[in-house]
Amino acid sequence: MQVVNLEQLKREGVLWQGRHSRQAGDRVLASGWAALDELLGGGWPRAALSELLSDAHQGLPLLLPLLARLSERERWLVWVAPPYVPYAPALRASGILIEKLLLVQDVVTSQRLWAAEQALKSGACGAVLVWPEQVKTAQLRRLQLAAEQGDCPAMLFRSLRAANQGSPAALRLRLRPSPLGIEVEVLKRRGAWRGARCIVPVYGCEVRGSGAEMFIGCPSLDP
Amino acid sequence: MLWLALYFPQLPLEVFARGRQQAGALAVVETDAGRERVSRCNSAARAYGISPGLALPTALALHAGLSVQRRDRTRERRALQALALWAYQFSARIGFEPSSLLLEVGASRRLFGGMAALLAIMQREIVQLGYTVQHALAPTATAAGLLARRCPGCRIENPDDLRAAVAPLPVAALTRDPDARTLIRHIGLESIDDALSLPRPELARRCGPKLSALFDRLLGMAPDPRPEWQPPRYFDQNIELLGEISHTTALVFPARRLMVALCGFLRGLGGGAQRLRWRLIHRDHPPTRFDQGLLDASRDPDHMLEMFRERIERLQLPEPVIVMGLRVDDWQAFEERSLAIFESTQSNDQSLLERLANRLGEHRVRGLRCLADHRPERAWRFCRPDEPDDSLPFVTQRSIQPPWLLPQPRPLRAPHGLPQYGGDLNLEHPPERIETGWWDGFDISRDYFIAHSPAGERLWVFHDRRGGGWYLHGRFL
Repeated sequence: MQVVNLEQLKREGVLWQGRHSRQAGDRVLASGWAALDELLGGGWPRAALSELLSDAHQGLPLLLPLLARLSERERWLVWVAPPYVPYAPALRASGILIEKLLLVQDVVTSQRLWAAEQALKSGACGAVLVWPEQVKTAQLRRLQLAAEQGDCPAMLFRSLRAANQGSPAALRLRLRPSPLGIEVEVLKRRGAWRGARCIVPVYGCEVRGSGAEMFIGCPSLDP
Repeated sequence: MLWLALYFPQLPLEVFARGRQQAGALAVVETDAGRERVSRCNSAARAYGISPGLALPTALALHAGLSVQRRDRTRERRALQALALWAYQFSARIGFEPSSLLLEVGASRRLFGGMAALLAIMQREIVQLGYTVQHALAPTATAAGLLARRCPGCRIENPDDLRAAVAPLPVAALTRDPDARTLIRHIGLESIDDALSLPRPELARRCGPKLSALFDRLLGMAPDPRPEWQPPRYFDQNIELLGEISHTTALVFPARRLMVALCGFLRGLGGGAQRLRWRLIHRDHPPTRFDQGLLDASRDPDHMLEMFRERIERLQLPEPVIVMGLRVDDWQAFEERSLAIFESTQSNDQSLLERLANRLGEHRVRGLRCLADHRPERAWRFCRPDEPDDSLPFVTQRSIQPPWLLPQPRPLRAPHGLPQYGGDLNLEHPPERIETGWWDGFDISRDYFIAHSPAGERLWVFHDRRGGGWYLHGRFL
């Protein structure tokens, strides 16, 4: 008789319960954070647009385990208009192969979205991170389409002010710093209710191999 | 030997017209016995009833809006040189005749998969270059040149058929030398056949050595040496825009013509170009110059054009453009890329980089590398995104590091000796001391703290132990 680990299947998004429905039909990319995967029904939506809303460009550390894993493939990790300098030694310490980073900087808003769209559609990128400043709904739709077309996750970092606007994104999260890390609240998720929340114990760039908590009990991190 | 002659009957017109997709009525005039007459005109002019031979005032009476150019033989010669540069990919032996190129193709036709295939490629590209052509093939260069003008499309590959092919043509077509032409008229020779029917000594006696030598070369009975032409090692060509172009999108059409010429030149040399230097000549304003960089050496006009389109979108023209020029001085040995599937990601990569760099500027599309240094400012650098990563692993003692660094440390207010950022910061102890760099003039002595702001942010701040101030240097969340 074959023994099936239900918990694992749920984490991988293969099995879901009606109460905690995952994105219908969408594939996911494990985030590397057990609490977050639980909240998102398996991980970040793949080939779709996700929005991370915060009041000071927060949320990058949530993506680091995913970026580390994606950097092992022959794909660019594109960062469009990051608000500060990505600190290379820290990123490398967290396991990201930094030669995969492609930074697009000092460009106006319209070109940021253009660059993001090109990157998403190119099929040459593992993930595209965008800090767009201002973005219209029609532009969000274009990004969502480009993400589907290029089979590439798009991560959009926006201000909390955008929380009340409608968006075609597959996933929208509100992020708040907390003494225990980052509090994540679901504003929108396909096939799920809003309002669910969790705390991800993230403090910055964890040095890989230092025994950080995120690697414990997270089998979905393996490729 | 087999010679292919390419005769460009509309060359005097096309040197002016080929820069524009849709040109208005245009005529090229020449002075003939003191009167200006139309020498060539385009189809738009023909629609008004204008035709070659017409006196200029008559032509202008038919259509006052006719644009008129004086025939420019220097420009035609330059155009023919440019065509030779393009044709060098098909033959290493190239000769010139007025408005014609002569190519020895006996060796190269096999290379291109037969004569028909070779001619099809050439025909297509000549159209893309903006010229019309008549061609002929013959065992001698002189015969090929003559047949291309008089009997376009004619293909004589067997030397035995040559005489029959040239026989009906007028003797006068053989030469432009006025003395020889007068002579031909006086002795009453009409066709080449008439001349060749004469016994050889009689022909030499009547026509003189010059003309009879011409017959010998025509039929391959005497060698027909042509000066060896060597192509220049760089590409530099102009295209006339006939009138003025003030929208950058209208530059795409002439740009493609120049790119087809460039790619022909590159194929001839077995090279690919990586930097295209464009210049746009204005009437008064100094020329606008810009470079178009390609990540990989290329000789594909379509690829170049795609990049060009994106490059010119952010171009501002100070004045309309009257002439467009392209120069490429450095080219690299080029290997044809196979389009195997496993390479497709690689080429996606390259084209993404190129597309971004082209539209946004190379300095805006960058990669990051680590440097072995404890000072945060010096622990990384920007680089070209495709530069290989040769940095060595560098171990630090920190277990948590900030993913974000501020471009410059930002001074913080510290009214009570402790830093503030939206209120008092709560510092985690002990700090990490970084004290290094005395050897290169950028020595620092700082205590770095993880700090919590009242808003819950986690910040990387340092206390400057020399100057005494507090600074924000990074962010954790």
